[in-house]
Amino acid sequence: MRLSSSVVPEFWCGLKQVENEVDERGRVWVLLTTFRTLLERLEPFLVGLERLGPWQDEGQADVCGPGPLGLQERAFTIIRGLLLFPPSQLLQDRVLDFYSRTFSVYIARKGHAHGDGEARAQGSEDPEGTNACGGCGVPIDECWCQEALKNLQELGHILSRVELLEWVSCDAVTSILHRLIEQWLEQHCRGEYERSFLDDFQQWLELVVGWLGQVFYNQEVHDGPPGHAAPASSVLKQWRCHMHQFFCRIYVNMRIDELFSIIRDFPESKAAIEDLKFCLERTNQRQQLLTSLKSTFENRLLHPGVHTSDILTVYISAIKTLRELDPSMVLLQVACQPIRKYLRTREDTVRQIVDGLTGDAVTGCTDLASELSRGDPVTLEMQDSDEEGGDPEGWTPDPTDALADKSGSKRRSSDIISLLVSIYGSKEIFINEYRTVLADRLLYQLNYNTAREIRNVELLKLRFGESHMHYCEVMLKDMADSRRINSNICEEEEEEPRQEGAEPRPPQWLSAIILSSEFWPQLKEEKMEMPAVVRRATDDYTRRYEKLKAMRTLSWKPHLGSVTLDVELEDRTISNVTVSPLHAAIILHFQDKSSWTLEELSAALSVPKEAVHRKLALWQQHGVLREESAGRYTVLETASSCKDKMERGAVMMIDSDDEHDSNTTTQTQQREEKMQLFWAYIQAMLTNLDSMTLERIHSMLRMFVVSGPTVTEMDAAELEAFLQRKVREQQLIHSAGVYRLPKTA
Amino acid sequence: MASQNLDPAASAGGAAAAMKGSEAGGNTTKGSVTKRLQQELMTLMMAGDKGISAFPESDNLFKWVGTIDGACDTVYEGLRYKLSLDFPAGYPYQAPRVRFLSPCFHPNVDEHGFICLDILKDKWSALLDVRAVLLSIQSLLGEPNNESPLNAAAAALWPNQEAHTKFTFVLCDWNSKIPNLFLYSNSFR
Repeated sequence: MRLSSSVVPEFWCGLKQVENEVDERGRVWVLLTTFRTLLERLEPFLVGLERLGPWQDEGQADVCGPGPLGLQERAFTIIRGLLLFPPSQLLQDRVLDFYSRTFSVYIARKGHAHGDGEARAQGSEDPEGTNACGGCGVPIDECWCQEALKNLQELGHILSRVELLEWVSCDAVTSILHRLIEQWLEQHCRGEYERSFLDDFQQWLELVVGWLGQVFYNQEVHDGPPGHAAPASSVLKQWRCHMHQFFCRIYVNMRIDELFSIIRDFPESKAAIEDLKFCLERTNQRQQLLTSLKSTFENRLLHPGVHTSDILTVYISAIKTLRELDPSMVLLQVACQPIRKYLRTREDTVRQIVDGLTGDAVTGCTDLASELSRGDPVTLEMQDSDEEGGDPEGWTPDPTDALADKSGSKRRSSDIISLLVSIYGSKEIFINEYRTVLADRLLYQLNYNTAREIRNVELLKLRFGESHMHYCEVMLKDMADSRRINSNICEEEEEEPRQEGAEPRPPQWLSAIILSSEFWPQLKEEKMEMPAVVRRATDDYTRRYEKLKAMRTLSWKPHLGSVTLDVELEDRTISNVTVSPLHAAIILHFQDKSSWTLEELSAALSVPKEAVHRKLALWQQHGVLREESAGRYTVLETASSCKDKMERGAVMMIDSDDEHDSNTTTQTQQREEKMQLFWAYIQAMLTNLDSMTLERIHSMLRMFVVSGPTVTEMDAAELEAFLQRKVREQQLIHSAGVYRLPKTA
Repeated sequence: MASQNLDPAASAGGAAAAMKGSEAGGNTTKGSVTKRLQQELMTLMMAGDKGISAFPESDNLFKWVGTIDGACDTVYEGLRYKLSLDFPAGYPYQAPRVRFLSPCFHPNVDEHGFICLDILKDKWSALLDVRAVLLSIQSLLGEPNNESPLNAAAAALWPNQEAHTKFTFVLCDWNSKIPNLFLYSNSFR
């Protein structure tokens, strides 16, 4: 056939001969010419084919041979096969160049016509745009835009004539479009989360479709006969769909990369999330999103350098964000699994959350307080008991990537506070921590003012239910009662006739806060012998209290108090110093005797020497005491001697270390105590029942350990870790799946 | 002492409980007994006594297994005894039923492991608890009450500590062949 022997080589020659042509315009011309020649050569065939067409229609099947395809189709298939196999990079490149050029020309003209600066800016490769044509990228006087458009039409015409249009241009057009969309997104959307881009994109898409109309223009003319091929408008529709799909995919890709930043900026980045949600519904990239988000969290968030409050802040944002993105909460649940797991290992998580909830977080988490005060009275139990979410019509199956664990979708909650609280699986821990915080706060301020705490407790009550907040309520009530009892006792004291020789005392010089020991968290124990004056007063107070409340008594915690006193010296008075009781007791001892050694003081106060030493520093700094020789302190009665002797800088504030210590035992201590208790149980059960599996131990503990305010349940993983530790410490033997105690005695 | 052993729920309820149907009353007492036993377990755990321990043998809180190590400087030193503790529904107003599971050669312990100890019989008081019972049994091992022996052979042998020790250990080895041993011990005498 002449087709293969001469036409094809000629076509390729035509394409290659002009390698020396550097000018783009020239190359376009070559491309066009080549196709023109091709058309010329093929014209006779085509005419012949058209003639053959009617014969075939008349049913002369032998002409076209067996096969379902019509003669024409077969002919074109042969042409395509000969011409385009093997696929040539050169042709592809050329066509690609050509289409990109015409595209930018088109966009530039369109942009010009509409005065649309935006379209123009991106259609042009030259940012100045003043001395170069927006379309063809050469100085305006050499502009060949018109020509390019004409060329476009002609090429389209030729290609559709030989039915090569789709084959030659599809690839090129597709890749151009892909590149363009990527470019467009890159320019417009990257790092920009505060507006929605869907409408913008729609507009831009129309513009591009206009150009596509140009490319496929001729098809419409030729495919005119109905039923022969799909009309051009449907081709365009197809392209539009395709572009839309492609846009979604690229957009999702980009946003997945940026998701962390989007989450971080959440309330501002809402628009981006909505776009992403729209697009995500149309692409199949949830899995990708999940994997990427998880690894981003791990890389950027979950390492020791990040402060717990920051992690919590991001987690909260993530909850809000993913709640928007995926109302089924599956994404949230799966993606945040690592965060929750990690937070569980942080010691101060609970404290941070509680601080956040009660609104005195120093950093971050501030929206927790507002979240709490919004206070939808949905308690945790209510959510749990909310069987199957009511409306059976509205049920949708879980997405396939849902975690296949426990109780399915009803478990998944989007409430931030419930989610945070459930990190540890039980709210008891939080309530205990809150108690500790509350105790600290009440004991720190040492007045009876509880308005703010009452509000917090009320809000938490809405969350956790009355019964759980019972202890806190009692604590607050203690404060109120204390105020009443205190004023009661003081009044009584006033009225009582003063004993002879007793020193006149300022009114209300001793006031107390009375705590119900059962309900308060464990307070730090510290021994200290109160000076005789104070002890007499406290004994007095206790007596009166016992009279007031039968069957009860007071046990004083002197170290938790505070003392305001004036120090009167020979030539000066230091007034209104507020110090800890230990400070006060020390200086009170100097009233009787002006010189003490460290040992004597320590013995008199029954406080360790180190502590006394630390406390003495404060008085040294005030210039009241002086260390004469090693371990002996005397009072400086006159200011002058004080000035002489005091070497500035030598006296440092050593005392500041424990001023703001928590008054309650810390969480770590509590956990240690809890573990100790569990260990006692474990030892006992293994002593009596020989060997047991992990599950058995766990269920036994669950069954028999009375959980109280200080003892909370331990989950199986925690228990296993604990047992493994004991195995390492050789206090336990683990073999064949059972634990037993080592045989010693 | 006797007043403490009266179950207030049972006595106060009296006729009323019978009227209401025993099931409801039984449940409430059971609840409080469970609580008490749980509390006792906690106390025992917290006390951390050396040589005595006990724990519920399964999920039934009314059946415990106890372990007692023979006290130092007695013939039982170095030996470990298992006991079973059964708590009646009327606990703590009725004494728990305590029995040795491991064979124990002791004047006050019979061949079935039953123990003759006053606080487990007429001297029981609701104020006592598992810990007290275990401690009593531990001290009973060292200081038997030879006045009212359950095991006459052991009681007879007790003054001869060396022989008794031998028996105690043999018994441990022979494990549950108690009747034979008694014959043997008689001829030995």
